[in-house]
Amino acid sequence: MSARPTSPAPPTAVAVRQVRRRQRRRAVVVPLVLLALVVVLSVLTLCFGSVRLSVDQVLASLLGTRENGAVDFIVQEVSFPQVKAAIAVGLALGAAGTIFQQLLRNPLASPDFVGISSGASVAAVSALAIPAFSGASLPVMALIGAAVTAVLMYLLAWRDGVSGYRFILIGIGVSAFATGVIGYLLTRTSLNEARQALHWLTGSIGQAGEHETDLLLITLLAISPLVPTLQRALRNVELGDDTARVLGNRVELTRLGLLAVGVVLTAGATAVAGPIAFVALVAGPVADRLLGTARGGILAAAAMGAVLCLVSDYIAAEVLPVAMPTGVVTGAVGAPYLLWLIATTNRRGMGG
Amino acid sequence: MRNRLALVAATSLALALAACSSDVKDGGDDPASGAAAPEGPWSFTDGSGEVVELDDAPTRIIAHSAEAAALMSYGIKPVGIYGDESVATDPNLQGLDLTGIEILGEEWGVIDVKLASTLSPDLIVADWWPAEKAHSGMEEGVKAESKKIADLAPVVGATQGGSILNLAEGYEELARSLGADVENSQGAEDKAAFEKAREEFSEVVEGKDLTALAVSPATDLLYAANPEYAPELLDFEKWGLDVVEPDAPDAGFPYWENLSWENADKYQPDVLLLDSRTFDEALKTAKSQPTWNSIRAAKAGQVVEWPAFWLHTYGHYATALGKLTADLSDLDDTIGD
Amino acid sequence: MTAAPAAPVAPPRARPTTRLVAGLIALGLLLIALTFASVALGARDIGLRDVADAFVHFNSGATDDTVAVQVRVPRTLLGLLVGAALGLSGAILQGLTRNPLADPGIMGINAGATLGVVAAITLLGLSGIGLLIWFGFAGAVVATVLVYAVGSLGRDGATPVKMALAGACVTAGLLAISTGLLLGDIDAINQLRFWQVGSLAGRYAPIVEGIAPFLAVGILGGLLCGRPLNALALGEDAARGLGLSIGKARVGLLAVVAVLCGAACAACGPIVFVGLVVPHVARFICGPDYRWILPYTVVLGPLMLLGSDVLGRLLDGSGELQVGVVLGIIGAPFFILLVRFSKLTEL
Repeated sequence: MSARPTSPAPPTAVAVRQVRRRQRRRAVVVPLVLLALVVVLSVLTLCFGSVRLSVDQVLASLLGTRENGAVDFIVQEVSFPQVKAAIAVGLALGAAGTIFQQLLRNPLASPDFVGISSGASVAAVSALAIPAFSGASLPVMALIGAAVTAVLMYLLAWRDGVSGYRFILIGIGVSAFATGVIGYLLTRTSLNEARQALHWLTGSIGQAGEHETDLLLITLLAISPLVPTLQRALRNVELGDDTARVLGNRVELTRLGLLAVGVVLTAGATAVAGPIAFVALVAGPVADRLLGTARGGILAAAAMGAVLCLVSDYIAAEVLPVAMPTGVVTGAVGAPYLLWLIATTNRRGMGG
Repeated sequence: MRNRLALVAATSLALALAACSSDVKDGGDDPASGAAAPEGPWSFTDGSGEVVELDDAPTRIIAHSAEAAALMSYGIKPVGIYGDESVATDPNLQGLDLTGIEILGEEWGVIDVKLASTLSPDLIVADWWPAEKAHSGMEEGVKAESKKIADLAPVVGATQGGSILNLAEGYEELARSLGADVENSQGAEDKAAFEKAREEFSEVVEGKDLTALAVSPATDLLYAANPEYAPELLDFEKWGLDVVEPDAPDAGFPYWENLSWENADKYQPDVLLLDSRTFDEALKTAKSQPTWNSIRAAKAGQVVEWPAFWLHTYGHYATALGKLTADLSDLDDTIGD
Repeated sequence: MTAAPAAPVAPPRARPTTRLVAGLIALGLLLIALTFASVALGARDIGLRDVADAFVHFNSGATDDTVAVQVRVPRTLLGLLVGAALGLSGAILQGLTRNPLADPGIMGINAGATLGVVAAITLLGLSGIGLLIWFGFAGAVVATVLVYAVGSLGRDGATPVKMALAGACVTAGLLAISTGLLLGDIDAINQLRFWQVGSLAGRYAPIVEGIAPFLAVGILGGLLCGRPLNALALGEDAARGLGLSIGKARVGLLAVVAVLCGAACAACGPIVFVGLVVPHVARFICGPDYRWILPYTVVLGPLMLLGSDVLGRLLDGSGELQVGVVLGIIGAPFFILLVRFSKLTEL
């Protein structure tokens, strides 16, 4: 995942400046367009549910300009929380995914594969399957699971600093451990609870209540002013350890900070929606395609995650003949798209 | 790049438009249930112990599938049903006339509450699960949207656990309070059939000295059921069948004792019960194991269907019990220990 | 299987050959001991003399004899073959994609097998492990071909990164479809949860006899992959310089992996851990030379798989723990410690 700007233009000063300007423009325009798309998709989703509403009805209800009990229940109580959760989860996973991938310099190193989601899953499935835990809140358990796993992984990977390679390997070990525990729980519990657990493990937007969603939104808001700082830190770390040290960057601290942000976002998203596959893995690379040479943008990846979640959740809930968990669709929709990207990518286009 | 964004926008729009939808109906308060609702205030004690009180008896009911089947046997037709699986395969709904009933969910954990709200329900009927402290369809782990169905109307239901009869009796009582003519309904006939089936069952099992073990054979282990957690096994026990209680149930998951196939012969009952929902498949799995025949009942072919976990109505229970009685009646009671 | 490079590919930091040979022999002896233990030990308490008797005078009416001969022997054989297959295929996949995360789980192979099994249960209404394994096998092979086809499209062929990403995509896509098919069907959930945990138990003799030839051929083929993997490890240009046809090498390596993982996963369910960890342990012992890594994985894989299986049989009273569970719970901390306290060879 090394970022090497590849400009075909001759290295004259004018050309370089031109490329830089174009690059900067893309880095601003792409996230804005994607965020606008998020807003449009949200309104459309609210209109075209199993109960059809007009744009006028939806906006009136959201802005509180007109009272209509039936419409208000559908929009405010049922649909809007769902849309809000989809956006929050998408933003968080998109951002966390690209941070992990760049930080660990491995396109597979999204939080789903390096152990954090699995930690959350073990905790949540325990809450469902073990009678002694029955009644525990799933989101809270998931949150605790993710946080404990992340801290454990960091401590285990620490030896005169954290090498990305070691962190990934530890992540593999943690995932394998989680797979074992979950498999055990699933074979021992009753069939109904196994089904319940499978649902949670597939990941579905709208599994948690508004309380958890709001918590995630607050976290996102709190982190948003830091995005430019994070972006710069990420670029510096990405240049490689030696360069980063020369640049006077306290590498380890920066790494820890970035890792913490990624973990918090992943944990929050998993608490809200369960371990939704694929959004974190795919949002970054897809956004990179749009960004061209300005690749690696956190905001663009986050917005792409939100788009992916909104569309997937809409398809899962409304388009399919039988309502399915969102996780079923993110994989079935996201995978072919990323496959197409891989197949058509230019040399170095995907960071290969 | 701009083209690609346009494409994304256009596809999402097309997807949005393609979804089939229904419009908001206003009003729609005409009562749907067949029974004549009694006048005046109505109250019912939910399985949770909470007493639900309304000014008028509810008439527009949304029910979980098995509960709906129970109400329908007393002539009360819900306006909406949500189930844990496809209506086509749900054992509770087989043979019922569902015309005019909105299907609000065909998968565990997912209820279309938006659609439910357009039905203007005044009562939700769903079993109460004491261990989970929740009604069916609103347990921990379902979509948050599904739980909002409780905002539309009060929820009542009978309590799971102890005996299947709790459920059948609970919904009989609920139907009566809703104005059903219980004595002249399908449900009353079913109840009579059930009483007869129960007597015949007791007669058969008390005439023999049968011991039974309920098992669930998987490829890697043989699971022996602990009757304490299976209400219908407790019922059979109460009515005279000697059900084997495993002596070392799994500490974390006391529903089963896990037996390695190497120890399949640990218990030697006269008859083995296999979950009726997966009977053929389970029997095939079991028969391919070399040690299945080390259980003498298995070797003698004394394996019968166990109607596990889904019964809610006297009708279903009568049928299941009748089948079980017939299966047990010609078995040899000297095979086991 | 592929044209051998003209010049021998010298590994960067070779360890003394005599030590590596001695290590391999020692591990081999350990494996033989474990094989005997696997026949002698189990959830059922049978005396050593009775086990031996069962082989000399087999009495089909005696449960002890049935257990020793018809339950434990096929199970042990399967453990040996599947362990070797998983270890070997993990090493080949990691070398091929040059990614330490690559394993049958992430490369789409297990997901393909899972979809094959789920489709057979839900769409065709089939059941019973004896039938399902063939659908699992077919699914695994199809998924591998798909991963390779997608990974090799585009201007520069099957680069490691593209293959790794393609594998992750195929995994996610196929698992999504499996879950979609599965969730509405509680019988299928019930069958799949026991297959998916990963287990050697209950695989009776006909299953082992059916799948063993594929595993045996795959293992022999896999052992020949050392040279091309060493060449690929040096980078594409160097490999080409050594006379290796990169495209052909990749196709050949992936074909071996498809057979090994497909057969293993079909028979025992998706056992992820062995394929991931054994290559790292082997690399820890022998350094980066794949000509040594591969034979070591063939011995280390069964040691880990069969060892965990024997442990699982003894841990749970009259029941037993599935090997997938034991591997995760006991193997993972061991692996984490290894990573934590050793100097790692990067790929």
